[in-house]
Amino acid sequence: MNRRNFIGFGVLAMAALPAALSAFSSIDFRATKPATWKAKTVQDAIKALYGDIKPENKGVTVKAPKVASNGGAVPVTIKSDIPAKTVAFFQDMDPESAVTVWNVPDVGIVDYFLKIKLKATDANGGNGELTAIVEGKDGKFYVGKTKLQVAKGGCEG
Amino acid sequence: MGNMKIKAKEKDGVLKVKALIKHPMLTYDQAKKKGKEPNFITHITAKVGDTIVYDASTSQFLSKNPMIKFKAKAGKKGDDLTITWVDLSGKTVTESKKIK
Repeated sequence: MNRRNFIGFGVLAMAALPAALSAFSSIDFRATKPATWKAKTVQDAIKALYGDIKPENKGVTVKAPKVASNGGAVPVTIKSDIPAKTVAFFQDMDPESAVTVWNVPDVGIVDYFLKIKLKATDANGGNGELTAIVEGKDGKFYVGKTKLQVAKGGCEG
Repeated sequence: MGNMKIKAKEKDGVLKVKALIKHPMLTYDQAKKKGKEPNFITHITAKVGDTIVYDASTSQFLSKNPMIKFKAKAGKKGDDLTITWVDLSGKTVTESKKIK
């Protein structure tokens, strides 16, 4: 290695170091895990995101109305006290399963609310299940689920 | 401006944020029906100063004009909370709000 190359290498290494040391940076899971967003089932989406995991059924709460009158805006809250690295949220009513993947900062609290679209079809009869997976800082996975019904046509019946 | 309605409050060290984002959130199916290009928010990030407090990769299934709420142990009264979203078309919108 000649001297010039050696200096070049040093500059590169220095450029890489702050990125590795910085506490937290944004992750675009659509870019890093593209298959997750195309998966048609919750199982496939989880596999595409996390691999073959066996999450424990505890510590994660998914709150949604039992009967949602408007499938166009269903309020959902996901909560967990487990120190989390990431949280992923899936449903089984829409053509694809993934809704949101959160990258949880150290200062973050897993108490996320959002409004989602759920499509009632003849095939699912308006019955669906919401699934949230927490990837703990302990390297383990946790899951919480809730079932709900969505009124067809988006109006109260 | 006017793309987001943000409310940010700090109490006992916990920041509570509520944001309403104006966006059609056209899914692939809806876009096909309407003969438009699908477009939806793909990423939402919130920061207090340089600290990221919320980082979400999102799909087409957020509701139209989606509302999000979250909490974090960061920021204090008077700090600026900044929310940035990006959509499929590549449009980026950033807005700030003082934490109350």
